[in-house]
Amino acid sequence: MRSAGISASSGGGGGRPWQSTTSVSSSGKRIQKEMAELNLDPPPDCAAGPKGDNLYHWVSTIIGPPGTPYEGGIYFLDIMFPSDYPFKPPTVVFKTRIYHCNVDSVGNLSLDILKDRWSPALTISKVLLAIRAIFTNPDVCKFFQSILDNPLVPGIAHLYLADRAKHDEEAAEWTLRFAR
Amino acid sequence: MVGEKEPKQSPEDPKRPPKRSNAVENGANTESLFSPRFKSVAAMAGWDEEALLIASLVVEDTPDREIKHKKRTDLLFKTPPSNSRRKRRTQRKSPVSIPVAALNLDEEEPAREEVEKKKTESKSGMNEENKTGRDELPAQNSGVSCSTSALPCMDKLREELSCAICLEICFEPSTTSCGHSFCKKCLRSAADKCGKKCPKCRQLISNGRSCTVNTVLWNTIQLLFPQEVEARKAAGASNSREVKRQIPGRESSNNVRNQSFRPSGVSTSREASVRRRRGVPSQDGDAALALRLQREEFMEAFRATHDQHGTGSSVSLATANLRAMATRAMSLRVRGRPI
Repeated sequence: MRSAGISASSGGGGGRPWQSTTSVSSSGKRIQKEMAELNLDPPPDCAAGPKGDNLYHWVSTIIGPPGTPYEGGIYFLDIMFPSDYPFKPPTVVFKTRIYHCNVDSVGNLSLDILKDRWSPALTISKVLLAIRAIFTNPDVCKFFQSILDNPLVPGIAHLYLADRAKHDEEAAEWTLRFAR
Repeated sequence: MVGEKEPKQSPEDPKRPPKRSNAVENGANTESLFSPRFKSVAAMAGWDEEALLIASLVVEDTPDREIKHKKRTDLLFKTPPSNSRRKRRTQRKSPVSIPVAALNLDEEEPAREEVEKKKTESKSGMNEENKTGRDELPAQNSGVSCSTSALPCMDKLREELSCAICLEICFEPSTTSCGHSFCKKCLRSAADKCGKKCPKCRQLISNGRSCTVNTVLWNTIQLLFPQEVEARKAAGASNSREVKRQIPGRESSNNVRNQSFRPSGVSTSREASVRRRRGVPSQDGDAALALRLQREEFMEAFRATHDQHGTGSSVSLATANLRAMATRAMSLRVRGRPI
C-alpha cells in the first residue's frame, strides 16, 4: 500500500498525503510497529492500542495479576507518546484509582524506566510488563526517592513495610471499589 | 574533402619507391608475417608492406585523422581537434568507467537486480555486466531457496537483525563497544538525545559521532533482506527528492522534463552530488560508501529504462541525463567526421 503510494506520487498532488505520512517520521513508524507487535503477541494480562485516530495517544488495560491484592481488578492507563518517541519516554498515567505506593492519587506513576532510566530500546510491551511487575513487587525503594515530590503516598509504603497484611487488605478494598 | 586528400597522397607517392626497395631487401622478415599471395593481392590494391604492417599493428585509425587536422588552416584548427579529443575521451571513458563502478562493489543485492533486468531485456549488451550477472545468479538462487524453505529461520533472523530503536531491519548497522548493533542513524540520535549509553545495556558508549558501519553485518542484512533494504533506500532517497519533484510536477507532466535534456541533466547531477555529500561521513571519508552511492545512481538509471513510462520520477531524469550524454556524443562524432 505504502509503496504503491510512493510510486504513484510522481503523478502530482495525489502522492502528497502519502509523502507526508512517510515523513511523519520514525516515531510514527515505530509506534505502528509496536502496535502490530502488541496485537500479534501481547504480554500476559495486558492490552494496549490507540485511543482514537491519534496514533500518539493510547489507552491500555492491565488486569491485576493473581495472587496479589489487585487480583480481579482492571486498571486503565493512558499512554502519551512524545513526538520524538523512541528517544523520549512515553507518559503513562493510571486512570483507575489504585492503592499502590508507586502511584499517586492522580495516577502518576513513579517508574524509573519511564524517567531517567528510559532507553529507546524499550517498547510499550516492556513498559506494561514492568508495570505489571510492580503490582506484585511494589518498588519501595523507588517510593523513598519520590517522597520529596509526593508527600501523599508515603503512608502506603510505610504500611507495606510495617504491616503487609493491612496494606494488602486496603489494596484489595480499593480494587473492589475502583477497579471492577 | 578532395582538396584535403590530394596533398596527403602526393607526399606519400615519392616515399613509396624507396620503401619498396627496402622491403625487397628485407624480404625475409616481411615474408614471415605476410604470405606471398596476400602480399601480391595487397600490391594489386596499391598497399606497400609498411602500410600493411602498420595496419596490422594499429587498430585505431586515429592518427590518420590527426594528419588531416594538421593540414587545415589555423582558423579551422582551433576547435575541431579539441572536439575530437574530447570525443575520444568520452568514447573511451563512458563504456569503461560505468561498468567498473558497477563491478567493484562487493554488495550483491543491486547486482541481483541487474540480473533480473538482463532476463527481461538485455538491451545494453555490456559483456562485463552480463558476467557479473552470471556470477550473482547462484547467490540469488540460494537466497531465494533459503527464504522460501526456512521461513521460521528467516523470522528469527529478522528479529535478530532488526534495530531495537526503530524496530526495522538494521539499516547500515553500527555496533557499539559492548557488542550491540543498531542502525547508524538510530544510534546517533540515541546518543544525542538520550546520552551516550548503549540503548540495550546502558553501558557507556565512547562517542555517538564516531559510528562506523559494521560492514559484515550490513552485507549480511543486504543479502538476507534485499527488499527491505531497497525499500528503505528508496524511502530515504524519495524524501530527499520530494522538494525538487514537487515544483516541476505541478505545472507540467514529466514528458516536458524528459524532452529538455540539459536542465534535467544538471538537476540530477547536482542532486547526486548533494546525496554524495550527505551520505559520506565527513570525518573518515568512507570510500566504500561513496562507491555504493555512485552505484545506486547507476542502478537507478538502469532501472529507469524499465518503468520510465509508468513512473516518471527522478529516476527518469537520470536516464534522460544519460541519453542526453549519448546524443551529445553522437552528434559530436557525426559533426567530427565529414569536416
